[in-house]
Amino acid sequence: MARLRRAAVAAGFATAAALLVASRPSGAAEAFITNQPGNEVAVVALNGAAAPPKLVARIPVPGEPAGIAVSRDGSRAFVTSPEGKALSVIDTATRQVEKRIPVGGGPLGVAVAPSGKPVYVADWYASRLVVVDPDRPDDLRIAHTGASPSGVAVTPDSALVLSADRDDDQVSIIDAATLERVAVVKVGTRPFGITLSEDGRTAYTANVGSDDVSVIDVAARKVVGTVKVGNRPYAVALTGPLAFVTNQYAGTVSVFDTTTLAPRATISVGEYPEGIAASEDGRAVYVVNWFDNSMSVIDTQTLKVVSTLEVGDGPRAFGLFLRRTP
Amino acid sequence: MRQMIAAAAALAVAMIPLAADAHGPTRKKVTESVEINAPADKVWAVISNFQDMSWHPAVDKQEGKGGNAVDATRLLTLKGGGTIEEVLVKYEPEQKSYAYRINAVDVKVLPVTNYSSTIAVIPVDATHTKVEWRGAFYRGYPNNDPPPELSDEAAVAAVTAVYRGGLDALKAKVEKGS
Repeated sequence: MARLRRAAVAAGFATAAALLVASRPSGAAEAFITNQPGNEVAVVALNGAAAPPKLVARIPVPGEPAGIAVSRDGSRAFVTSPEGKALSVIDTATRQVEKRIPVGGGPLGVAVAPSGKPVYVADWYASRLVVVDPDRPDDLRIAHTGASPSGVAVTPDSALVLSADRDDDQVSIIDAATLERVAVVKVGTRPFGITLSEDGRTAYTANVGSDDVSVIDVAARKVVGTVKVGNRPYAVALTGPLAFVTNQYAGTVSVFDTTTLAPRATISVGEYPEGIAASEDGRAVYVVNWFDNSMSVIDTQTLKVVSTLEVGDGPRAFGLFLRRTP
Repeated sequence: MRQMIAAAAALAVAMIPLAADAHGPTRKKVTESVEINAPADKVWAVISNFQDMSWHPAVDKQEGKGGNAVDATRLLTLKGGGTIEEVLVKYEPEQKSYAYRINAVDVKVLPVTNYSSTIAVIPVDATHTKVEWRGAFYRGYPNNDPPPELSDEAAVAAVTAVYRGGLDALKAKVEKGS
């Protein structure tokens, strides 16, 4: 019975999705937002800074989903459930959970290689990444990190995987081919989110404990800058010359120039802003506010919030949560 | 009364402090509120002093420094023993609101870590006021597979009880006019 109902709901989503795709102009995008206590992923149609976003689907995902990585081609979203100890693979077009892969431990941060596999899942409790081929879910591999790996990022050439090792105040740089750790870079205190520049040369960590962002030269394996931001920074989004950083305790987004590292603005958003990402055209930055159950849209020209949308209970969207729609 | 008994029972257990910053992957939140038959100014007058939490029935005594300035601290001693050390992070008298964090508490006293909270007095009309108390925190056990007394559910239940006890007592106190 429950299974039947679920199938009916899924079929409903699929129909809605098909209609939506058909009516959307090319270049549109969607946000896949993990609502952790809500045990779901909310799908929001994005319209840049010019028009407000719209909630278009809710996909049930058990186990308090938190981390997310959308594949580069936009076809799949990989979602971690730390309390369910699993990685869910979502077909973004049909809005269905394709499969649920048990990974053990406390899966939180997640990143996917540009080709769509493998998927790197940070195990918060075990100082390791679980490396998952979503098409061969029984074949899990392991890469060792420091304590409490949280944010994960893969370089655009697929060669390196970076993990922010929160409780060791460091970033591990791992060779994707051998899964050996090739370097450790000490950063600020308790790095959580990690974001790579488009060219993969520079990484930024949001350091929860020292209220700053570390700027890492990936090739040189060293920190080349530190930028003071607000209270308890969580994650970093990059667009054009600007970096946008969510500050959980401050309820703000800090903006700084990535060339000069000079501060540009502090923007008030909702309470406990967490996941943050920039639109492909760079005009808008999307921020989810965990306590307020909302998403704020920031206009990157005016550096002001232009709209706010209710998205469901406890949004985190920790990772790359946007996808370009076909 | 129930809160006092719960607090006393919690305090009877041995003290095992945990590293302040380590926590699980799943933050929890609680929002509780109460409507009080009194103007907002009157309600705010009772709770506005960060250095005086005597309106909460679980608080036996307190000491602190820094008044109502950001970074002010207070040490609450609970009825039956046990302490909670807190720091003020935001104070907005024009909004009748302030935010604070717990710097140090034993998980046997309150089974949470990385706790932050906001209390706000919101006017409903000239004679009615809503008080909203919100908290965000992680469970007391920072590792996987927590024991029941340090689980997510235990953390939410404990914080809910603290807020409910405080808000109901605040309502009674203000409406009685004491």
